[in-house]
Amino acid sequence: MTHPFSRTLRRRFIAVSGGTAAIALLAGCAGGSSGSDASAPQEGGDLTFLIDSLGDTWVPNNGSISSFQGHIFDHITDKLVYVDENGQASPWIAESWEQNDAATEFTLDLRDDATFSDGSPLDAEAVVANLDAWAFGDPENGINPIGLFPKTYEQAEAVDEQTVRVEFSAPTLGFIPTLGYHGSILVSPETLELPVEEQADLDNIVGSGPFVVDSWKEADNVVLTKRDDYDWNPEAFDREGPANLDSLTYKQVAESATRTGAVQSGQAHVAYNVTPKELAGLEQQGFTIGLPQYLGFVEGLRLNARIAPFDDVKVRQAFQHGIDREDLLSTVYTDGWAAAESFIQSNVPEATDHSEAFAYDPERAEQLLDEAGWTPGADGVREKDGKRLEVTLYSNPYIVTGAAVDELIAQQLGRIGFDVSIESYDVVTYGERVIANADLSNYPVSRSFVDAGTVASILTDENNGEDWFGVGTSDETLTRLQDEIAQATDADTRAAALDELQAYVLEQAYFIPRTQMVQRIYAQSPDVDGVTYNALAYANYTGAWLND
Amino acid sequence: MTRNQTYLWYGARRLLQAGVVIVLAYALTFVVISVLPGDPVSNTLRNPQNGFSEEEIDRIVAYYGLDQPVLVQLWDAFARFVVGDLGVSLRSNLPVSRLIGEALPSTLALAGTALVIAVVLAFLVAYGTQRLPRRWGQGALRAFPSLFLSVPNFVIGMLLLQYFAFQLGVFNVIDPESGAATFFAALALGIPVSAQLAEVLIAGFDHESRQEYATVARSRGLTETGLLTRHLLRPASLPVVTVLAITIGELLGGAVITEAVFGRAGIGSLVQRSVATQDLPVLQAVVALAAVVFVVVNLVADLSYPLLDPRVKRTARWSRAPRSAERAGPASPADASTVQRKESIA
Repeated sequence: MTHPFSRTLRRRFIAVSGGTAAIALLAGCAGGSSGSDASAPQEGGDLTFLIDSLGDTWVPNNGSISSFQGHIFDHITDKLVYVDENGQASPWIAESWEQNDAATEFTLDLRDDATFSDGSPLDAEAVVANLDAWAFGDPENGINPIGLFPKTYEQAEAVDEQTVRVEFSAPTLGFIPTLGYHGSILVSPETLELPVEEQADLDNIVGSGPFVVDSWKEADNVVLTKRDDYDWNPEAFDREGPANLDSLTYKQVAESATRTGAVQSGQAHVAYNVTPKELAGLEQQGFTIGLPQYLGFVEGLRLNARIAPFDDVKVRQAFQHGIDREDLLSTVYTDGWAAAESFIQSNVPEATDHSEAFAYDPERAEQLLDEAGWTPGADGVREKDGKRLEVTLYSNPYIVTGAAVDELIAQQLGRIGFDVSIESYDVVTYGERVIANADLSNYPVSRSFVDAGTVASILTDENNGEDWFGVGTSDETLTRLQDEIAQATDADTRAAALDELQAYVLEQAYFIPRTQMVQRIYAQSPDVDGVTYNALAYANYTGAWLND
Repeated sequence: MTRNQTYLWYGARRLLQAGVVIVLAYALTFVVISVLPGDPVSNTLRNPQNGFSEEEIDRIVAYYGLDQPVLVQLWDAFARFVVGDLGVSLRSNLPVSRLIGEALPSTLALAGTALVIAVVLAFLVAYGTQRLPRRWGQGALRAFPSLFLSVPNFVIGMLLLQYFAFQLGVFNVIDPESGAATFFAALALGIPVSAQLAEVLIAGFDHESRQEYATVARSRGLTETGLLTRHLLRPASLPVVTVLAITIGELLGGAVITEAVFGRAGIGSLVQRSVATQDLPVLQAVVALAAVVFVVVNLVADLSYPLLDPRVKRTARWSRAPRSAERAGPASPADASTVQRKESIA
């Protein structure tokens, strides 16, 4: 392929000079061009995005929940609703929606002008086919259902060409926001018919998005070109017509230093997932740092209240108050990371501030441990009935700072008498030894959701729930709150229950928040303007343009 | 038996051995990965975040045949392999043949270029150690191999990238398959390999130049250059050929790191992803491919000895060759067959 980037490369060509001098010079140029920042959107241009991985599979339903493919799917497909970074759902392919009082039946009104890139209409029939595929998958053809889709889904029917009625077996307030989740992408019914081997070929994924797949190579690159007749942007974008950019190239570069070096030298526009340590330098050189938060849980630990020593609420609370979160933010992270205020991220609409419940208070922590009968031994580690106060942390392999955070916490807790050891695994081993093991005392959490209703499905073991805190249905307050959230039929009732739940879970120290979660890190050339981030912190370039 | 018949018999045995090696490699990979717990399909499905029911999981696992006993799965994979069907990747859901077909050209270009660079560099360094005045250049040149060997290839790669790609703009990481990008990636990969070759070649030159025939040639007034190129080069290259055969494996292994640094999508990165996800069908195919490469390379190496040194042709008996060939298989040290050759030369 002729590379779309060569023009920029030539423009940015720098003569031989010392390393730092060259980079400083480059930064100077870059800073200059961003002076005309308020410029109007420009037509044309080819944007290059360096990504650490293109993920495992292009079969939309079979990808993992937090996936690299979301970057590409966001540009080649549309969704029924748009959910912004504040968790607000707004019209997209569904122009409006209604629900019955019991929140068990929803009616979606679709816009009438959207088409898939193969020319077929994005009508009610197509939407029904997609809803069924998300809910049930096609196991005989190796296609999974999508994980986060409400299990209460019963059926959908096309009332007429632009109207879809969806029925649930129980109240499902989370349905509408779930339609903005990155798994809920609309693809052509013909794509859905394909067996898994053919859906795995990105060329066969036909969507209705502002870009179409021009070419792709496995684990190497995906080139998207703009669709000229696209005119159904989400209402929230407040723009008409096709994208400004001619093409988007996603190029896989596994090595972080290579991604950073390439954007610094002007070979690419965006470096994804650079390490927090590199950010300050990039910012000084004029790069825009994007640290969008996604909706979901904060980065933290869920404790298993069935396993010692966390079967004692006082030990859990001592753990809670023994962590100095300000120290975490200043030591491991940069200014872009915010302190946690609850166990869900602050941008979730129902999030309320409960930071008091887990404030750093080492004296109180020590007092709690004294009350629980754990007394300091000779080496400073507390003991009770001849047992030492030992805890093992399992570092989160999904975030670059996982092990560093654990090491700092181990020191902090060591000062109040815990003996903390750390185990780190790669993603696969972690899946085997940690995720699949119900007998550990704690688990790291970094998980997104689009609707806080998700919280209800994880707390206990009811309805195939995940039983996060190992208490089953034995904690009556927890079970009551879970039921209230799951069965709520209006948003206010549910928000009240969620507020009570946040207070309760944090006071019981079932969940130990550490910091707000930033899992997607963007270092972007100052030439790029007009980027938006959605609820899942994916960068969208539909409205973006390049300044010369 | 005439010499030709013996040669044919030797060739046939080598081919048969090659087949056995490939089949065993294929089966062994299967066994090794099958004893590991889990598989990529159920690993994804059983992630509690998905909340799938057991029944949903079972149906999808059954689609991939992963619910069958291990021996049945091995037999199925084998039956497909024999007719040239490499199966479907459990990770990407794409046909394995497509994955390998897409990754192989990139790795071949990289490893091939690296091999040429390594050989050229090695000969230049070794030639320099023989021809430069002892006092200055030689000592420095003799230190080259250990210097090159001690610098990891990702460090060399990062330095090349930093200077030639990011500062000079000679190539860019967006288009890693371009000629210039391939050359620099191959340089990073080839430099450590050239060190080994140079070491062996220098030793070869040193050894040959002490032989009687060299002294005789010198006494007849032959210049050092003439002696090197006309008499010493070919016998000194003999062990290099053996090392080269092993080196090819190293190039394929080292490609993982070089591919990651330079943003290339080749066999190395395919293996890395497949190992991380226990993607059995892909790993089996790659191991079979590697076995083919090793067998062919070793065969070519064995057959090229007589061309390099006529004394091998004169003294080596073909009936002896298979024994040394066995030792030159994938897992054997290079020196075994080199020593064997040396003996037969002497």
